[in-house]
Amino acid sequence: MQRRKTEEAVFKGLMIASVSIVAAGLLTIVAVIAWKGVPALSIGMITQTPKGGFYLGKEGGILNAIVGSLYLAGGATLLALVISLLVALFLQREYIGKSRWAGVVRLSLDVLWGVPSIVYGAFGFVIMVYLGMRASLLGGIIVLTLLEIPIMARALDEVLRAVPRELKDASYALGTTRLETSLNVVTRQVLPGILTAVLLAFGRGIGDAASVLFTAGYTDRIPTSLLDPVASLPLAIFFQLGTPFPEVQARGYASAVVLLVIVLLIAVGSRVLSRRLTKYVVK
Amino acid sequence: MNDICLRIHGLNVSYDGHTALKNIYLDIPHRQITAIIGPSGCGKTTLLRSINRLIDLTDGAKIRGEIWLDGHNVMSDREDVTSIRKRIGLISQKPSPLPMSIYDNVAYGPRIHGMRDRKELDKTVRSCLETAGLWTEVKDRLQSPATRLSVGQQQRLCLARSLAVRPEVLLCDEPTSALDPVSSQNIENRLIELKKDYTIVIVTHNIHQAMRLADYVVHLYLGELVEHGPASEVFQRPKQDRTRAYINGTVLTKPRTDVEINLKGKVCPLNFVFAKAALENLEIGQVLKVIVDYPTAITEVPRAMEYDGHKVLGVKQLNETDWEVIIQKRE
Ligand SMILES: Nc1ncnc2c1ncn2[C@@H]1O[C@H](COP(=O)(O)OP(=O)(O)OP(=O)(O)O)[C@@H](O)[C@H]1O
Ligand SMILES: [Mg+2]
Repeated sequence: MQRRKTEEAVFKGLMIASVSIVAAGLLTIVAVIAWKGVPALSIGMITQTPKGGFYLGKEGGILNAIVGSLYLAGGATLLALVISLLVALFLQREYIGKSRWAGVVRLSLDVLWGVPSIVYGAFGFVIMVYLGMRASLLGGIIVLTLLEIPIMARALDEVLRAVPRELKDASYALGTTRLETSLNVVTRQVLPGILTAVLLAFGRGIGDAASVLFTAGYTDRIPTSLLDPVASLPLAIFFQLGTPFPEVQARGYASAVVLLVIVLLIAVGSRVLSRRLTKYVVK
Repeated sequence: MNDICLRIHGLNVSYDGHTALKNIYLDIPHRQITAIIGPSGCGKTTLLRSINRLIDLTDGAKIRGEIWLDGHNVMSDREDVTSIRKRIGLISQKPSPLPMSIYDNVAYGPRIHGMRDRKELDKTVRSCLETAGLWTEVKDRLQSPATRLSVGQQQRLCLARSLAVRPEVLLCDEPTSALDPVSSQNIENRLIELKKDYTIVIVTHNIHQAMRLADYVVHLYLGELVEHGPASEVFQRPKQDRTRAYINGTVLTKPRTDVEINLKGKVCPLNFVFAKAALENLEIGQVLKVIVDYPTAITEVPRAMEYDGHKVLGVKQLNETDWEVIIQKRE
């Protein structure tokens, strides 16, 4: 009896320690960035595009990068969602059956998940050069989509696999097709899970610098067409931190604060939305 | 004779080579309640799921045979599965509301099958909920999630949802087994009302429920059709011993007894000891028959043997004083 109590206490201690490490990591990152970045933050920073000499410490803001990042990550997440949902639905029993291909596809997705994003960037770049395309919003979106698909498809696959059999049977028993059941019942049941997958993928997309470096380019202007080059927050941070001027570096940290706030807002927003969506979910 | 709604002709179903239904030939009468009875695992669910082809979705299931529904062979590859399932509704054992509002649950089927007009949908939803006896309880909260209903209400919602696609046949797989007696009674009353418009097939473990509801009875045992016929005949004059035994509530098992010991006149702790000692000498799977007459022993010997991990196959009264307990040795 005593031994079991000790076990319990030890494991509880370990769990608390692990949670503390995670929480402390997050807090320090936020604290350091905020400490260095918040003083440099101003309204102008998020409402203006860079003026001449911005990178030398003169007037301007990073609106180009904020809008660019939202375009890139938003477009890619949307595209990735459509593709991943189809992939994940297809991986379920009723479509692919017990086929070994399901395993092969899952394995490929897992491997792709682990591929460093610079490889995606280089790959996208090679293809774009071959096609004669220049770095552009479209190129960036496509490469980010590829980057997001593995994480999204696997996350969706897991939630779809957890959908109870009886639920699908109840729908089929009314004379519906697999597609109708998938779209009307299954996706509804997993809406909160879809939201989590979207959030994960969006987070990866908006925070990635390496894959957009060659494919989306960089510009001080806000793109007006899919074929224009586009700026992004991670690259803006990278460039600003790379200058030798302390005030520009401070703006780099301020840009990081902006990126962090965007991710945070989206995370909180999706939590709130998720709570709404679980209302109908069958437990 | 009544006319036939479903004609099952030589149906065989197996799961990964393990046979679940053997050569079933059966006619299910039109607009009556047919009850399928039989012990657990005898293939009742399998039979229902074959009739509306939900079995197609089960991994490893192999089906042979024909099921005719007015001139269409349900089993044929040429038939459109979705239209078969629309004509043959299924209500499962566990109520399974869809992840949407009460209204949308009922409107789901009609919408899929092309009903778009809001007024028409409203009317269908209302009439189906009324038929299922749920309307008055939910009419003020049609937009709230179906999962918030009680289990009994959920089952009636499932009934309404099935009715909404206007099926001809309703298959009910132990529709009341998850419900309390009052809710069960409610469902039973619905089914009795519904049989004037629908052919109903109900699987039930509850022999009294079968007696209350059924016009026609089918007894399955280990995947075989033992007996079927009008309820009055089957319940009053079963032709088969196994059916009679099932109806009398004791499942007829004729285990080969390997050893028999007589413990008459032995009082309680002693008869355990003798029974245990006798089991010690048996191989796993062999069967011991013990005759006892001490009143406590009749309940306590089986209990003690089960506690030791053996399986009690039956306890039967032999005469005024004597009882037999049949025990199969397990590890
Ligand atoms: N998906 C499946 N895969 C393999 N075997 C199955 C499957 N479903 C059922 N079986 C087997 O087929 C036999 C008949 O099962 P079925 O579910 O039809 O029984 P049942 O009469 O409905 O039992 P119960 O009264 O317990 O619901 C059983 O031996 C069962 O183990
Ligand atoms: Mg069953």
